[in-house]
Amino acid sequence: MSKKVLVVDDDADVRLFSVTVLEENGYTPLEAEDGESGLKMIKAEKPDLIILDVLMPRQSGVRLYRELKTAKALKDVKVIILSGIAKKTFLRSQKALTEFGGAQIPEPEIYLEKPVEPDELADVIKKVLG
Amino acid sequence: MKIKKLLFVTKFEELGFDALRSLLSLRKSALEHVVFVNVIERDRVAMRRGKGYQKDEEIRLREAANIRFIDWAENLFEQGMEVGVYIVVGSLVPEVIQASRKEDADLIVIGRSHKGVLEHLYSGSDVTELLRRAYTPVLVYKQLSETAISVEEPFERPLLAIDWSPGSLRAVEYIKAIKDTVQEVHLVHVADERALKGPSAMAIQKTRKEARDKLDEICESFEAAGIKAREHVYIGDPDEEIEKAAKDCQATMIVLGSSAKAAWVEKFLGSTPRKIAEDSIYPTLLIAPEKADE
Repeated sequence: MSKKVLVVDDDADVRLFSVTVLEENGYTPLEAEDGESGLKMIKAEKPDLIILDVLMPRQSGVRLYRELKTAKALKDVKVIILSGIAKKTFLRSQKALTEFGGAQIPEPEIYLEKPVEPDELADVIKKVLG
Repeated sequence: MKIKKLLFVTKFEELGFDALRSLLSLRKSALEHVVFVNVIERDRVAMRRGKGYQKDEEIRLREAANIRFIDWAENLFEQGMEVGVYIVVGSLVPEVIQASRKEDADLIVIGRSHKGVLEHLYSGSDVTELLRRAYTPVLVYKQLSETAISVEEPFERPLLAIDWSPGSLRAVEYIKAIKDTVQEVHLVHVADERALKGPSAMAIQKTRKEARDKLDEICESFEAAGIKAREHVYIGDPDEEIEKAAKDCQATMIVLGSSAKAAWVEKFLGSTPRKIAEDSIYPTLLIAPEKADE
């Protein structure tokens, strides 16, 4: 059975791009358009990998990532961040949330800044999923 | 009634990051989430004869807004805040209302309307339309305008205009909920000019005294909540007197209750909240009564 990969991004064009790359490489893509619906889908579908945007309505990737990594049942799900937000900003935001009393959380497996080439995305997915 | 989440609606030309920065003092109260909204008006990308739908223009406008929002969002994320974004094609007011509902926002921040006189006459302003339809409080910010005062912290010294309407009484509770951000509140009631035509000086003084006593009660409730409060009674035209009171008190913002009057009623009878929201040099916070529908 092919591995399930959830794409969480509010931009329909980016979702289409990622879904196409996933299908062409034999994965089963799933889609969510914001952090809140993404979390519901993660709980329901238990994907093998999440490709996560940062700046989204309702719940950002910063908070969703934090929720994943602090939930016992979800913390081992692998995450690739794919965003226009710089990696250093993402890491600083997580540091700030830790300083405000949140838990210390690990860095994401891979952080890609948009835009990416299809081959680059396919390669990192293969690398992360083994 | 705390302000945990605000919707920052901008077309960029009228409201920039400086305006948002000035609102971050609300973090002392409860603010933790900012949602950016940019609505690309449909007619900017609409079908044109021989051209069809201008998809390229839509992409260009979306990306221009996205790049700006990413820059602003990075600043907020690094402070540990939560940030969201909506860039949509449509009509401003329905899209803002929809985003506000989806996000369950506590405050909508919007710039002064840029419609021309004729557009105002026929369709009313975006701000008027938003005030009429939104249950969520609306802050009309006057940042990048020739006729606006520069305010570092708008919520520091609000002038609350009280007319005993449900909206203005709800505003009292709204301000109490952000007490950690407010330094001092000035309450003003503008009595009708007709009160001056009473049968005697005693009758006029009585009107003033009654209004003061009622304001005193509200001041006491503010003091009990830990906010310094002062009351004032002005007499005359509310639109003018509220503006004068704001100047006299060195207020940083005007707060008013608003009502969900129909647009045509406003057009013919006028509305103090709308006029102040549109014309005042001060940022204006309008609070609808609890049961208004979105």
